[in-house]
Amino acid sequence: MDSIIEVSGITKVYQKRKTKEKIQAVDNISFQVKRGEIIGLLGPNGAGKTTTIKMICGLLKPDSGQILINGVDNEKHRLRALTHISAVLEGSRNLYWRLTVRENLEYFAGNRGVSRKNVASRVEDLLQKFRLKDKETELVNRLSRGMQQKLAIAVAMLADTEVILLDEPTLGLDIETGYEVREILKAIAKEENRTVIISSHDMDVIQDICERTIIINQGKVVTDDRIEDLLKLFEVRSYTITLGEHLNEKQEHLIKERFLDYQYESNRIQPKLSVELLKTEDIYQLFDILKLNETPVEAIDREIIQFEQVFMKIVKGETTNGVDQVKSQSV
Amino acid sequence: MEWIKSNLNLFKANFRKETIELRRYLPNTIAMLLTVYIIFMAMFAGIHSVGAPGTVDATIQNTIVNYIFWYLTITIVNGQGYEILTEATRGTFEQLGMSPSGIWRILSARLLAQGILTAAMMIVLLYLSMLTTGQSLNVDFVTIIPIFLLTCISMFGLSFIIAGLTVIVKQIQAFLQIFQFVLAALTFVSLSRAPFLVFFPITKGVDMIRAVMVEGLTLNELGFSNFLVLTTNALVYFIIGLATYLYCERYAMKKGLLAHY
Ligand SMILES: Nc1ncnc2c1ncn2[C@@H]1O[C@H](COP(=O)(O)OP(=O)(O)O)[C@@H](O)[C@H]1O
Ligand SMILES: [Mg+2]
Repeated sequence: MDSIIEVSGITKVYQKRKTKEKIQAVDNISFQVKRGEIIGLLGPNGAGKTTTIKMICGLLKPDSGQILINGVDNEKHRLRALTHISAVLEGSRNLYWRLTVRENLEYFAGNRGVSRKNVASRVEDLLQKFRLKDKETELVNRLSRGMQQKLAIAVAMLADTEVILLDEPTLGLDIETGYEVREILKAIAKEENRTVIISSHDMDVIQDICERTIIINQGKVVTDDRIEDLLKLFEVRSYTITLGEHLNEKQEHLIKERFLDYQYESNRIQPKLSVELLKTEDIYQLFDILKLNETPVEAIDREIIQFEQVFMKIVKGETTNGVDQVKSQSV
Repeated sequence: MEWIKSNLNLFKANFRKETIELRRYLPNTIAMLLTVYIIFMAMFAGIHSVGAPGTVDATIQNTIVNYIFWYLTITIVNGQGYEILTEATRGTFEQLGMSPSGIWRILSARLLAQGILTAAMMIVLLYLSMLTTGQSLNVDFVTIIPIFLLTCISMFGLSFIIAGLTVIVKQIQAFLQIFQFVLAALTFVSLSRAPFLVFFPITKGVDMIRAVMVEGLTLNELGFSNFLVLTTNALVYFIIGLATYLYCERYAMKKGLLAHY
């Protein structure tokens, strides 16, 4: 079996208690995760990331669709499916505040049917690795938010499952702890046989840790691609052309008509024209337009796009799907 | 074998958590023990002033038994409700929901741990107050223990019903407060006065224990039919309770109610 997680067409509609208003939190989401993959679920607030993760964890039943974990249907055989996954949900809401660091680790292991003796060496290991050893007898409510988050991750790690899900692991942390948590996550990602799904609205985190990212917006998957490829996809299409002369009105009109996201900075000696191309070959169309008035071209630069910009574009609805649509129209 | 081991570990972890919490909130625990002790003493003092020395007044003895069960029931049944309420608000309840043991099994382990701890404390306090007052109750353990265990099973069933309701109803606090009085009725009212209570949880067991402790009946004298009724009652309530809880859990998972925030 290649995929450890197979999500097929899951949908979730919430109904607000008071207003009875319906909210489509997840709308027909499908994706697969291979063993050992590190996947980012990226999307703005309210995109449906937490809802998706809770459905994978079996805490929430999808209205329709199916989730297989290691081939086990997580609705029909919920508890069996749960043996393969552990998760850290959003916020510091997943620890017992009246127990100490060590007691939390041991209690959660116990709830999975594992004795204290059996986890003793791994508890030591995790306390060291997460730099919590000197806090092991501290009550959780006395820890900083960052330490609580580290402990929550340690609790999930202790379960020793193949899959580990982390919902917004760096949310609300100060820069320094956020960085430390990221380093920990990278170390986890490197461990063999761990499949990791990280959700975040922060593209930096995802770009830093994950190989592949699934971008969701308004409950739908908008792209599912390797980060490298996503960057390439957009990078190749963004050109900035420095012109020797100003464009005339007709040229400007034609460019406006044919190209998606065009920008023309005419208030300088050498005007700059930036265009987004649907396909690389479209550059010739642009040259044709420039040729109409024999506009001299001084330089052509391919713009380097940051992942952040890619994300913003995708979320704004300029998706690869969207691009495909425009493409077919222009043919 | 594996199965037994993992359930034992589950129980141990939860028993440990309960004891840790009792120790961590030592002032609370001591205050609670002291209150119960004083109440016991007061009741025994009542015997002293009402009855002739040595012979224990039946009504007051009844009251002591009733009080013990009322206390136990509140801890087990309402305590479960409050605990789930806190955990759902804190978010740890979802964490329990991700354990492959299943929430109901974790809750069972907790109930068992709480039951044992509370019963142990009550017994110690009872003996302590008998010692200090020089009074004695007829504590025939051989007869009482099976009745007690069966009563606890129906109590656990009731507790699961409350657990299920707490999972799906957010504003349960007011209900729990009123429910205290229902629990009082179940433990204080005797079957001879309200025979229909035999169909309710707990009452039959407490009635039988009163018969042992007050009238001095033995296992044999109580007879098979009484035990049959008690066992049936316990099993029916445990099954109804668990089924109700699991139904509510499924409903909560459909509606996204496992966390209350
Ligand atoms: N329990 C709930 N009841 C009602 N609406 C909810 C509930 N949980 C989430 N939502 C709504 O569903 C949408 C998706 O939420 P969520 O999955 O938490 O998004 P994300 O984690 O990506 O921020 C949001 O509009 C949110 O307000
Ligand atoms: Mg979220």
